Amino acid sequence: MTSERKVEWMDRAAGCLVHYAARRTPEPLSQRLEEEWLADLAERRPGFARLRLGIGCYWATYSIAREQRVAAVAPARTHLAPASVAGFMSENSALFSRRTATFLLVASLHAAVLLGLAVGVGSKFIKSAPPQFVVDQIDKTLPPPIDLPVPPTPDWNTTQIIVPQPDDKLTFEPDPPSVVGDVKETPPETQGGTGPSLPPAVTVNRVQGGPGIGFPSAHDFYPPAAIRRGEQGIATVSACVDARGRLTSDPTIVQSSGSQRLDQGALTLAIAGSGHYLATTENGKPVNSCYAFRIRFDLKN
Amino acid sequence: MSLQTLKVLEAFLENPTDQLSGAEVHQRCKLASGTLYPILLRLEAAGWFVSRWEAINPSSAGRPRRRLYRLTPTGLKRASDVFASFNRGVLA
Repeated sequence: MTSERKVEWMDRAAGCLVHYAARRTPEPLSQRLEEEWLADLAERRPGFARLRLGIGCYWATYSIAREQRVAAVAPARTHLAPASVAGFMSENSALFSRRTATFLLVASLHAAVLLGLAVGVGSKFIKSAPPQFVVDQIDKTLPPPIDLPVPPTPDWNTTQIIVPQPDDKLTFEPDPPSVVGDVKETPPETQGGTGPSLPPAVTVNRVQGGPGIGFPSAHDFYPPAAIRRGEQGIATVSACVDARGRLTSDPTIVQSSGSQRLDQGALTLAIAGSGHYLATTENGKPVNSCYAFRIRFDLKN
Repeated sequence: MSLQTLKVLEAFLENPTDQLSGAEVHQRCKLASGTLYPILLRLEAAGWFVSRWEAINPSSAGRPRRRLYRLTPTGLKRASDVFASFNRGVLA
Protein backbone atom coordinates (compact mmCIF):
# COMPACT_ATOMS: atom_id res chain seq x y z
CA MET A 1 0.00 0.00 0.00
CA THR A 2 1.44 3.34 -1.07
CA SER A 3 1.50 6.37 1.13
CA GLU A 4 -1.18 8.10 -0.90
CA ARG A 5 -3.49 5.18 -0.51
CA LYS A 6 -2.75 5.15 3.20
CA VAL A 7 -3.71 8.80 3.47
CA GLU A 8 -6.82 8.22 1.44
CA TRP A 9 -7.74 5.28 3.62
CA MET A 10 -7.24 7.30 6.81
CA ASP A 11 -9.34 10.16 5.44
CA ARG A 12 -12.18 7.82 4.65
CA ALA A 13 -11.91 6.20 8.07
CA ALA A 14 -11.94 9.61 9.72
CA GLY A 15 -15.09 10.63 7.75
CA CYS A 16 -16.83 7.43 8.76
CA LEU A 17 -15.90 7.95 12.40
CA VAL A 18 -17.27 11.51 12.33
CA HIS A 19 -20.54 10.41 10.75
CA TYR A 20 -20.90 7.52 13.14
CA ALA A 21 -20.01 9.64 16.19
CA ALA A 22 -22.42 12.40 15.22
CA ARG A 23 -25.27 9.94 14.91
CA ARG A 24 -24.57 8.69 18.42
CA THR A 25 -25.17 12.12 19.92
CA PRO A 26 -28.66 13.24 20.97
CA GLU A 27 -30.95 14.29 18.15
CA PRO A 28 -30.88 18.09 18.58
CA LEU A 29 -27.09 18.06 18.31
CA SER A 30 -26.59 15.29 15.77
CA GLN A 31 -26.80 17.29 12.53
CA ARG A 32 -25.06 20.30 13.98
CA LEU A 33 -22.10 18.35 15.30
CA GLU A 34 -21.77 16.36 12.09
CA GLU A 35 -21.51 19.50 9.97
CA GLU A 36 -19.25 21.19 12.51
CA TRP A 37 -16.92 18.23 12.75
CA LEU A 38 -16.82 17.78 8.99
CA ALA A 39 -15.83 21.44 8.65
CA ASP A 40 -13.11 20.87 11.22
CA LEU A 41 -12.07 17.72 9.37
CA ALA A 42 -11.71 19.68 6.13
CA GLU A 43 -9.30 22.10 7.81
CA ARG A 44 -7.05 19.37 9.15
CA ARG A 45 -4.17 17.98 7.17
CA PRO A 46 -4.97 14.77 5.33
CA GLY A 47 -3.90 11.52 6.88
CA PHE A 48 -3.20 10.90 10.51
CA ALA A 49 -4.42 14.33 11.76
CA ARG A 50 -7.87 13.69 10.32
CA LEU A 51 -7.93 10.16 11.68
CA ARG A 52 -7.07 11.47 15.10
CA LEU A 53 -9.91 14.01 14.83
CA GLY A 54 -12.33 11.23 13.97
CA ILE A 55 -11.26 9.18 16.96
CA GLY A 56 -11.54 12.24 19.18
CA CYS A 57 -15.05 12.97 17.99
CA TYR A 58 -16.05 9.39 18.65
CA TRP A 59 -14.64 9.77 22.16
CA ALA A 60 -16.45 13.09 22.63
CA THR A 61 -19.83 11.51 22.02
CA TYR A 62 -19.58 9.70 25.34
CA SER A 63 -19.06 12.91 27.28
CA ILE A 64 -21.73 14.77 25.35
CA ALA A 65 -24.31 12.02 25.79
CA ARG A 66 -23.60 11.81 29.49
CA GLU A 67 -23.95 15.53 30.00
CA GLN A 68 -27.20 15.54 28.06
CA ARG A 69 -28.58 12.88 30.38
CA VAL A 70 -27.55 14.92 33.41
CA ALA A 71 -29.21 17.97 31.92
CA ALA A 72 -32.41 16.01 31.36
CA VAL A 73 -32.43 14.91 35.01
CA ALA A 74 -32.18 18.52 36.18
CA PRO A 75 -34.94 20.25 34.17
CA ALA A 76 -35.47 23.08 36.57
CA ARG A 77 -32.12 24.62 35.96
CA THR A 78 -31.39 28.22 35.37
CA HIS A 79 -29.37 29.49 32.50
CA LEU A 80 -25.92 29.54 33.93
CA ALA A 81 -24.78 28.18 37.23
CA PRO A 82 -26.79 24.99 37.71
CA ALA A 83 -25.97 23.70 34.27
CA SER A 84 -22.26 24.31 34.66
CA VAL A 85 -22.24 22.66 38.05
CA ALA A 86 -24.06 19.65 36.68
CA GLY A 87 -21.67 19.41 33.79
CA PHE A 88 -18.54 19.64 35.85
CA MET A 89 -19.85 17.22 38.42
CA SER A 90 -20.78 14.74 35.77
CA GLU A 91 -17.29 14.96 34.38
CA ASN A 92 -15.72 14.10 37.68
CA SER A 93 -18.20 11.96 39.57
CA ALA A 94 -19.67 9.52 37.08
CA LEU A 95 -19.01 5.86 37.49
CA PHE A 96 -17.18 5.60 34.18
CA SER A 97 -15.82 9.08 33.85
CA ARG A 98 -12.79 9.78 31.72
CA ARG A 99 -10.54 9.49 34.71
CA THR A 100 -12.03 6.15 35.63
CA ALA A 101 -11.79 4.91 32.08
CA THR A 102 -8.20 6.06 31.82
CA PHE A 103 -7.36 4.38 35.08
CA LEU A 104 -8.98 1.15 33.95
CA LEU A 105 -7.15 1.33 30.64
CA VAL A 106 -3.76 1.83 32.30
CA ALA A 107 -4.48 -0.89 34.84
CA SER A 108 -5.47 -3.33 32.13
CA LEU A 109 -2.31 -2.54 30.19
CA HIS A 110 -0.21 -3.24 33.27
CA ALA A 111 -2.06 -6.47 33.86
CA ALA A 112 -1.46 -7.50 30.26
CA VAL A 113 2.23 -6.78 30.53
CA LEU A 114 2.52 -8.72 33.77
CA LEU A 115 0.59 -11.61 32.30
CA GLY A 116 2.86 -11.62 29.28
CA LEU A 117 5.92 -11.66 31.47
CA ALA A 118 4.54 -14.46 33.60
CA VAL A 119 3.40 -16.68 30.73
CA GLY A 120 5.29 -15.92 27.57
CA VAL A 121 8.49 -14.10 28.29
CA GLY A 122 9.00 -15.80 31.62
CA SER A 123 9.17 -19.22 30.02
CA LYS A 124 11.83 -17.95 27.62
CA PHE A 125 13.90 -16.78 30.53
CA ILE A 126 13.52 -20.14 32.18
CA LYS A 127 14.51 -21.94 29.01
CA SER A 128 17.53 -19.75 28.57
CA ALA A 129 18.78 -20.48 32.04
CA PRO A 130 22.24 -22.04 32.12
CA PRO A 131 22.35 -25.82 32.47
CA GLN A 132 23.09 -27.25 35.82
CA PHE A 133 26.53 -28.54 36.53
CA VAL A 134 26.78 -32.31 36.76
CA VAL A 135 29.36 -33.55 39.17
CA ASP A 136 30.99 -36.88 38.34
CA GLN A 137 32.69 -38.70 41.15
CA ILE A 138 35.78 -40.54 40.02
CA ASP A 139 36.55 -43.77 41.89
CA LYS A 140 40.31 -43.85 42.20
CA THR A 141 41.97 -46.53 44.29
CA LEU A 142 44.79 -45.25 46.38
CA PRO A 143 48.06 -47.27 46.57
CA PRO A 144 48.62 -49.25 49.77
CA PRO A 145 50.50 -47.42 52.49
CA ILE A 146 54.24 -48.00 52.66
CA ASP A 147 55.48 -49.58 55.89
CA LEU A 148 58.51 -47.55 56.86
CA PRO A 149 60.94 -49.04 59.41
CA VAL A 150 60.72 -47.48 62.82
CA PRO A 151 64.02 -45.81 63.72
CA PRO A 152 65.61 -47.07 66.94
CA THR A 153 65.02 -44.92 69.95
CA PRO A 154 68.30 -43.66 71.36
CA ASP A 155 69.00 -44.51 74.97
CA TRP A 156 70.04 -41.20 76.40
CA ASN A 157 70.70 -42.65 79.81
CA THR A 158 73.47 -44.95 78.67
CA THR A 159 75.16 -42.53 76.28
CA GLN A 160 78.56 -41.38 77.49
CA ILE A 161 80.43 -38.38 76.28
CA ILE A 162 84.15 -38.94 76.40
CA VAL A 163 86.07 -35.77 76.95
CA PRO A 164 89.84 -36.02 76.47
CA GLN A 165 91.89 -34.97 79.43
CA PRO A 166 94.18 -32.00 78.83
CA ASP A 167 97.89 -32.58 79.04
CA ASP A 168 99.57 -31.08 82.05
CA LYS A 169 102.90 -30.74 80.35
CA LEU A 170 103.32 -29.03 77.06
CA THR A 171 106.23 -30.04 74.87
CA PHE A 172 107.69 -27.77 72.26
CA GLU A 173 110.00 -28.57 69.50
CA PRO A 174 113.01 -26.28 69.93
CA ASP A 175 114.42 -24.41 66.99
CA PRO A 176 117.55 -25.94 65.53
CA PRO A 177 120.63 -24.29 66.97
CA SER A 178 122.06 -21.65 64.74
CA VAL A 179 125.74 -22.00 64.10
CA VAL A 180 127.83 -19.01 63.17
CA GLY A 181 131.11 -19.57 61.57
CA ASP A 182 132.08 -23.09 60.89
CA VAL A 183 129.39 -25.22 59.55
CA LYS A 184 129.71 -28.69 60.72
CA GLU A 185 127.76 -31.26 58.89
CA THR A 186 126.53 -34.07 60.94
CA PRO A 187 125.21 -37.23 59.45
CA PRO A 188 121.47 -37.64 59.83
CA GLU A 189 120.35 -40.05 62.46
CA THR A 190 118.01 -42.68 61.40
CA GLN A 191 115.70 -44.74 63.49
CA GLY A 192 115.35 -48.10 62.10
CA GLY A 193 116.37 -46.80 58.71
CA THR A 194 112.93 -45.19 57.99
CA GLY A 195 112.23 -41.45 57.72
CA PRO A 196 114.17 -38.42 58.89
CA SER A 197 115.17 -38.10 62.51
CA LEU A 198 113.33 -35.58 64.82
CA PRO A 199 115.12 -33.23 67.19
CA PRO A 200 115.01 -34.22 70.84
CA ALA A 201 111.95 -33.00 72.86
CA VAL A 202 112.55 -30.07 75.26
CA THR A 203 110.60 -29.91 78.57
CA VAL A 204 109.30 -26.42 79.55
CA ASN A 205 108.91 -25.67 83.25
CA ARG A 206 105.65 -23.82 83.41
CA VAL A 207 104.47 -22.25 86.68
CA GLN A 208 100.88 -21.06 86.64
CA GLY A 209 100.17 -17.64 88.09
CA GLY A 210 97.42 -16.43 90.42
CA PRO A 211 96.45 -13.61 92.71
CA GLY A 212 99.61 -11.96 93.98
CA ILE A 213 100.66 -9.43 96.57
CA GLY A 214 98.27 -6.53 96.97
CA PHE A 215 95.35 -8.46 95.51
CA PRO A 216 92.15 -7.18 97.16
CA SER A 217 90.48 -9.18 99.86
CA ALA A 218 87.22 -10.95 99.28
CA HIS A 219 85.85 -9.35 102.41
CA ASP A 220 86.06 -5.91 100.81
CA PHE A 221 83.94 -7.05 97.85
CA TYR A 222 81.40 -9.09 99.75
CA PRO A 223 78.03 -7.93 98.35
CA PRO A 224 75.95 -6.35 101.15
CA ALA A 225 72.78 -8.04 99.90
CA ALA A 226 74.53 -11.40 100.11
CA ILE A 227 75.67 -10.58 103.65
CA ARG A 228 72.07 -9.74 104.68
CA ARG A 229 70.87 -12.98 103.21
CA GLY A 230 73.71 -14.97 104.75
CA GLU A 231 74.91 -16.25 101.40
CA GLN A 232 78.30 -17.97 101.30
CA GLY A 233 80.14 -19.84 98.59
CA ILE A 234 83.13 -20.29 96.37
CA ALA A 235 83.23 -18.86 92.84
CA THR A 236 85.82 -19.99 90.32
CA VAL A 237 86.96 -17.12 88.08
CA SER A 238 88.97 -17.37 84.90
CA ALA A 239 91.34 -14.46 84.16
CA CYS A 240 93.69 -13.76 81.28
CA VAL A 241 96.80 -11.93 82.49
CA ASP A 242 99.80 -10.54 80.71
CA ALA A 243 103.41 -10.76 81.80
CA ARG A 244 102.99 -7.76 84.10
CA GLY A 245 100.03 -9.20 85.94
CA ARG A 246 97.35 -7.07 84.28
CA LEU A 247 94.11 -8.35 82.84
CA THR A 248 94.07 -8.62 79.08
CA SER A 249 90.28 -9.35 78.94
CA ASP A 250 87.30 -9.38 81.21
CA PRO A 251 87.29 -12.22 83.71
CA THR A 252 84.51 -14.83 83.52
CA ILE A 253 82.86 -17.18 85.97
CA VAL A 254 83.96 -20.75 85.33
CA GLN A 255 81.98 -22.26 88.16
CA SER A 256 79.22 -20.45 89.96
CA SER A 257 79.07 -20.13 93.69
CA GLY A 258 75.36 -20.75 93.62
CA SER A 259 74.58 -17.12 94.23
CA GLN A 260 74.34 -14.59 91.45
CA ARG A 261 75.26 -11.82 93.88
CA LEU A 262 78.41 -13.63 95.01
CA ASP A 263 79.38 -14.35 91.38
CA GLN A 264 79.02 -10.66 90.54
CA GLY A 265 81.12 -9.77 93.60
CA ALA A 266 83.81 -12.25 92.51
CA LEU A 267 83.99 -10.68 89.03
CA THR A 268 84.24 -7.20 90.56
CA LEU A 269 87.05 -8.44 92.79
CA ALA A 270 88.88 -10.02 89.85
CA ILE A 271 88.67 -6.78 87.86
CA ALA A 272 89.85 -4.75 90.85
CA GLY A 273 92.88 -7.00 91.24
CA SER A 274 94.26 -6.18 87.79
CA GLY A 275 97.98 -5.42 88.10
CA HIS A 276 98.26 -7.56 91.21
CA TYR A 277 98.19 -10.92 89.46
CA LEU A 278 101.15 -13.19 89.32
CA ALA A 279 102.00 -13.93 85.71
CA THR A 280 102.53 -17.47 84.59
CA THR A 281 106.18 -18.28 84.02
CA GLU A 282 107.71 -20.63 81.56
CA ASN A 283 111.19 -21.57 82.50
CA GLY A 284 111.09 -18.62 84.87
CA LYS A 285 110.03 -16.16 82.23
CA PRO A 286 106.59 -14.46 82.67
CA VAL A 287 104.24 -14.98 79.74
CA ASN A 288 100.67 -14.17 78.88
CA SER A 289 98.29 -16.82 80.04
CA CYS A 290 94.79 -17.55 81.21
CA TYR A 291 94.10 -19.43 84.38
CA ALA A 292 91.36 -19.99 86.88
CA PHE A 293 91.38 -19.34 90.60
CA ARG A 294 88.82 -19.61 93.36
CA ILE A 295 87.38 -16.83 95.47
CA ARG A 296 85.78 -17.78 98.74
CA PHE A 297 83.08 -15.69 100.37
CA ASP A 298 82.81 -16.76 104.00
CA LEU A 299 80.93 -14.84 106.64
CA LYS A 300 82.96 -16.36 109.41
CA ASN A 301 86.10 -14.61 108.25
CA MET B 1 -13.07 23.96 36.66
CA SER B 2 -10.63 21.79 34.82
CA LEU B 3 -7.35 22.89 33.35
CA GLN B 4 -8.61 22.15 29.83
CA THR B 5 -11.60 24.47 30.35
CA LEU B 6 -9.28 27.21 31.53
CA LYS B 7 -7.17 26.78 28.41
CA VAL B 8 -10.26 27.21 26.21
CA LEU B 9 -11.30 30.32 28.11
CA GLU B 10 -7.79 31.72 27.87
CA ALA B 11 -7.86 31.29 24.10
CA PHE B 12 -11.04 33.34 23.90
CA LEU B 13 -9.86 35.97 26.37
CA GLU B 14 -6.89 36.88 24.20
CA ASN B 15 -9.35 38.80 22.04
CA PRO B 16 -12.87 38.52 23.48
CA THR B 17 -14.55 39.81 20.37
CA ASP B 18 -13.10 37.14 18.11
CA GLN B 19 -15.24 34.35 16.79
CA LEU B 20 -13.34 31.09 16.76
CA SER B 21 -14.16 27.79 15.20
CA GLY B 22 -13.36 24.47 16.80
CA ALA B 23 -10.32 24.03 14.53
CA GLU B 24 -8.95 27.46 15.53
CA VAL B 25 -9.41 26.77 19.23
CA HIS B 26 -7.63 23.46 18.71
CA GLN B 27 -4.69 25.26 17.14
CA ARG B 28 -4.47 27.67 20.08
CA CYS B 29 -5.07 25.26 22.94
CA LYS B 30 -3.60 22.07 21.47
CA LEU B 31 -6.51 20.12 22.95
CA ALA B 32 -7.79 16.93 21.40
CA SER B 33 -11.18 17.05 19.75
CA GLY B 34 -12.55 14.55 22.19
CA THR B 35 -11.90 17.03 24.98
CA LEU B 36 -12.46 20.28 23.15
CA TYR B 37 -15.98 19.84 21.77
CA PRO B 38 -17.61 18.71 25.02
CA ILE B 39 -16.14 21.81 26.70
CA LEU B 40 -17.43 24.10 23.98
CA LEU B 41 -20.90 22.59 24.23
CA ARG B 42 -20.84 22.74 28.00
CA LEU B 43 -19.85 26.42 28.11
CA GLU B 44 -22.43 27.23 25.44
CA ALA B 45 -25.13 25.48 27.42
CA ALA B 46 -24.02 27.42 30.49
CA GLY B 47 -24.37 30.70 28.62
CA TRP B 48 -20.70 31.60 28.53
CA PHE B 49 -20.55 31.14 24.75
CA VAL B 50 -22.86 31.73 21.85
CA SER B 51 -22.37 30.09 18.49
CA ARG B 52 -23.55 30.58 14.96
CA TRP B 53 -22.92 29.14 11.53
CA GLU B 54 -20.42 30.71 9.25
CA ALA B 55 -22.15 32.84 6.63
CA ILE B 56 -20.99 31.06 3.49
CA ASN B 57 -22.55 28.86 0.85
CA PRO B 58 -21.08 25.40 1.28
CA SER B 59 -21.63 24.43 -2.33
CA SER B 60 -19.92 27.52 -3.66
CA ALA B 61 -17.15 27.45 -1.01
CA GLY B 62 -16.59 23.75 -1.51
CA ARG B 63 -16.44 22.99 2.18
CA PRO B 64 -18.87 22.63 5.10
CA ARG B 65 -19.81 25.60 7.21
CA ARG B 66 -17.87 26.19 10.31
CA ARG B 67 -19.48 26.73 13.71
CA LEU B 68 -18.12 29.93 15.24
CA TYR B 69 -18.06 30.49 18.98
CA ARG B 70 -17.87 33.80 20.82
CA LEU B 71 -17.83 34.87 24.45
CA THR B 72 -21.04 36.35 25.79
CA PRO B 73 -20.84 39.41 28.09
CA THR B 74 -21.74 37.14 30.97
CA GLY B 75 -19.13 34.60 29.93
CA LEU B 76 -16.55 37.33 29.58
CA LYS B 77 -17.25 38.62 33.07
CA ARG B 78 -17.23 35.15 34.62
CA ALA B 79 -14.09 34.08 32.84
CA SER B 80 -12.39 37.31 33.85
CA ASP B 81 -13.45 36.72 37.45
CA VAL B 82 -12.02 33.20 37.36
CA PHE B 83 -8.64 34.34 36.12
CA ALA B 84 -8.69 37.33 38.46
CA SER B 85 -9.23 34.99 41.40
CA PHE B 86 -6.25 32.96 40.27
CA ASN B 87 -4.16 36.10 40.04
CA ARG B 88 -5.21 37.19 43.51
CA GLY B 89 -4.29 33.84 44.83
CA VAL B 90 -0.88 34.02 43.25
CA LEU B 91 -0.23 37.61 44.36
CA ALA B 92 -1.42 36.95 47.88
